[in-house]
Amino acid sequence: MDTLEICYMSAGDLSKLVQNKEISPVEIIEAHLTRIDATEPVLNSFITLLADEARGAALQAEKDIQAGRYKGPLHGIPVALKDLYDTGGVRTTSGSRIFDNFIPTEDCTVAAKFQQAGAILVGKLNMHPFAYGPTGENLDYGHMHNPWNPDMVTGGSSGGSGSAAAAGQCTITTGSDTGGSIRIPAALCGIVGLKPTYGLVSRHGLTALSWSLDHPGPMTRTVEDAAITMNVIAGHDPKDVASAKVDIPDYTSALSGDIKGLRIGIVKEYFETPLDPQVRKAVMDAIGLLESMGAEVKEVSYPMFNQSQAISSTVLMSEATAYHRDLLEKDGHQIYEPVRQRLEAGLFISAAEYLRAQQARTIFDNQGRRLLDDVDLLAGPTEPVTAPRIMASKVMAGEQEVGVVGALTQYTRPYNINGFPAISVPCGFSDENMPIGLQLAGKPFDELTVLRAAHAYEQATDWHTRRPPV
Amino acid sequence: MVSQKQLSREEFDRLAELLGLNGESAYMDELYTQVRGVFMMGESVRAIDVSTIEPAMAFIPPK
Repeated sequence: MDTLEICYMSAGDLSKLVQNKEISPVEIIEAHLTRIDATEPVLNSFITLLADEARGAALQAEKDIQAGRYKGPLHGIPVALKDLYDTGGVRTTSGSRIFDNFIPTEDCTVAAKFQQAGAILVGKLNMHPFAYGPTGENLDYGHMHNPWNPDMVTGGSSGGSGSAAAAGQCTITTGSDTGGSIRIPAALCGIVGLKPTYGLVSRHGLTALSWSLDHPGPMTRTVEDAAITMNVIAGHDPKDVASAKVDIPDYTSALSGDIKGLRIGIVKEYFETPLDPQVRKAVMDAIGLLESMGAEVKEVSYPMFNQSQAISSTVLMSEATAYHRDLLEKDGHQIYEPVRQRLEAGLFISAAEYLRAQQARTIFDNQGRRLLDDVDLLAGPTEPVTAPRIMASKVMAGEQEVGVVGALTQYTRPYNINGFPAISVPCGFSDENMPIGLQLAGKPFDELTVLRAAHAYEQATDWHTRRPPV
Repeated sequence: MVSQKQLSREEFDRLAELLGLNGESAYMDELYTQVRGVFMMGESVRAIDVSTIEPAMAFIPPK
């Protein structure tokens, strides 16, 4: 089989071949390492590549499968983790040279679950330092580059995860999402990014950015692969104080393609902010397609959306500064300057203001839950723009120039505040051939409905089959 | 906490000194801009009526 074809196959398709012994994990890993060699000089997706370790694990997987010890759909499938997921014996930098030599002694819960499922870790992925930024810029390990145009950002903070999955460097990647850090790079790189409900995937062993807003989750090229990954990584973890005790369904059972009667609310406030007309059209076309497939679409209002940036930023900045306070005092001058500034700015938020933002968060959450009494999903753009240029501080959203950081997080932050599950799925391309994402959010712990709608849309379009020019 | 009004550069410099923050002048200029943004955010949150609401707290006591 052609090497590139292997690299662009989904885990769903690859796993069938692996199970039937029509392809070996060794062949899969070699194909991906070749692809990484060819594209990494342009993309810079990885901080640590584990080529030898992956080859060894692939050989072991091949032996196990030949001996009848097939572990499931991720057995022999290449996985890469954002470099804030602790990996025992493998350095975990959190995207900062300060932790260049930090080697955890044990795996985080998600890494351990991948290991148990037989997935093969090929490397640790580049990221915005400390996950504190939405662009994927990093002076310590080099900027991440968008596979659709390397002059443009990947989005962040899980930028390497976005570029690696989009460019076929890896089948499954992971991100963490505090203000949009899974969905932003997913949208800007043209892949699927699922931010699960808060508490559904364990945060144990991940470097925190904001304890009450952090959500680990999968970044993949297909919705089915996101569901397959959730089957492995979701579930209660006593090591995470915020881990939810809920029944875990088979997430692939959602992929029926049937969305007849599904109620989708278009949040009108999302379309009253500066928005690239090409993004607006792609998203409205996508919603129109969902309607033509049997969904019931109506306009809804989420008035507190307009306060979401302030609520989210107050909580995030307070918690991030609290988490990194000692580091800031000890090694502040070594922290990537824009991140250091955000951390230091957090020192100016009082405890009373933090708690007031948490009070406002409850109101915001209640308003969102009431909305979801009337509809099953909330829909809108993931991003108001396509990927901005690397190191740009402003970007045009239609006729209006807006700040990059605020723009990239404006539609994603609401679902960090309320913890609802939200997915970004590719829904088109701009005239400049840059990807556009549709965001769908659902009721807490109702990932099945989110995945069902995203999968039905994906299967009715061919956006996910397009490949970047890199 | 300085609030309900624009944070002057002198007030910022004093607060920064008390917090032990320092850096090149261009760095401090940028930080001042960011902190003014923080104060504006605070105003926006203060405009929300939260009088009957407890803050969302994630802490679950261990067994």
